[in-house]
Amino acid sequence: MTEAAPDITLIRLLLGFALLIIPAGLSWWVRLGIIRKMFVSTGRMTAQLFLVSILLIYLFDVDNPYINTGWVIIMIIFAAGASMMSSGLRFRHFFIPIFASYFFGAGFSLLYFIGIVVNPESIFTAQLLVVLGGMLLGNSLNSVIIGISHFYQSLQKEKKRYHYLLSLGASIREAQMPFFREAVIAAMRPFLANMATMGVVFLPGMMTGQILGGASPDTAIKYQIAIMLAIFTSVTLSISLSLFFTSRKGFDEYGVLKEDLFK
Amino acid sequence: MIELQNIDFSVGQRQILRNVSLKIPAGGRLLIRGDSGTGKSTILRLILGLVQPDSGRVIIDEETQNRNNIWSQRLKMAYVSQDMQLGRGKTESFIKEVFSYRNNRHLTYDRRDVEKYFDLFGMNGVTPEHRLEDLSGGELQRVAIITALLLKRPIYLLDEITSALDANLKIKITGHFLSMKNATLVIVSHDQHWYEHDIQTLTLDA
Repeated sequence: MTEAAPDITLIRLLLGFALLIIPAGLSWWVRLGIIRKMFVSTGRMTAQLFLVSILLIYLFDVDNPYINTGWVIIMIIFAAGASMMSSGLRFRHFFIPIFASYFFGAGFSLLYFIGIVVNPESIFTAQLLVVLGGMLLGNSLNSVIIGISHFYQSLQKEKKRYHYLLSLGASIREAQMPFFREAVIAAMRPFLANMATMGVVFLPGMMTGQILGGASPDTAIKYQIAIMLAIFTSVTLSISLSLFFTSRKGFDEYGVLKEDLFK
Repeated sequence: MIELQNIDFSVGQRQILRNVSLKIPAGGRLLIRGDSGTGKSTILRLILGLVQPDSGRVIIDEETQNRNNIWSQRLKMAYVSQDMQLGRGKTESFIKEVFSYRNNRHLTYDRRDVEKYFDLFGMNGVTPEHRLEDLSGGELQRVAIITALLLKRPIYLLDEITSALDANLKIKITGHFLSMKNATLVIVSHDQHWYEHDIQTLTLDA
């Protein structure tokens, strides 16, 4: 076990903020017009992370399995909400199906990863459940947004193709299948590219974090490999389930895509 | 038999069809013409149950169309429109997937039937092995037409299917459909090759 990296004092962290002078100066010089936005985003990031750290300190302190599970469920609610906001689809139709797909998709991968791969004395500790749950959800979130927008937008854009398949005798499911495949591929593509360059182009966040925290690179790499597999499963399951669960609600009894799905 | 009774249809505030009635007996042919925006394609979509009329009825073989019988009614029809997108992958895989639908399982897929149509419709050098994304618009159009023909449905709803094809192919394809004696055809087209045959026409006004 190597020693953990030294803590960063508050003063030193402020010195870190001094780095912002460079992007801000550049933005001013070439008139990017995003200085305000930059400071708002940086401010939000700082405030949110500080708040989360307070929450994490509390969760680690109490370390109650029920509270930990409850927090994971709250994260799923946020993930489902964020997916709806960014996908251009209306909330009321899809919130519950999307929630369910994260719940089962990310939930299964999380429990498998902790229970079978890490195999600790207790599965429901904050250190594993909350931290890894956040990682799986965060990664699945992007894919679900890409997948679900791709699916419904191409069904709308390529209406003729979908209608043609219906006229060729397809059930709703059968006519959706090509769109389903294309959406899952679109959702997985960035992730697969990312996985293929891992370690060569960049060292992934979790591994970097563990090494800074004092873990040996050997342990960090095993965790990283296993978490990538869990993320991959979570991404694939969440996106497939979200299309599966939403597709019943998105179509009328004649098999036609509902027009009021879109914002 | 296809029957439309007193159909009104509007999109938002705009009325597209006003009190349209028509009757096409089994084996009959109807050519629908009119300027764009007069609701020609809408009539085909109404027959397919892809849109519902504000008032009036669509009746197929004596049965008023509703959400329960629409799925069995659609099995009597095959629909092809212009600018077809068929996705990616091998042409034959696409056709086979259509044959794999539960509703089409009674049909047997035979590669020779596909090749026969490829020859008939002048798919020069294109075989079922070619990938859909490598085909031209006119070739995709013919793949869509061929797939519809392979299903041997009694009713064909054809929406400007020949507009992307050259004169020679237009003649071949219109001729082929018109030679199918038992097929009911509902055709939306500006193409004069259909008019040359003795065919009932319906002209829609704006």
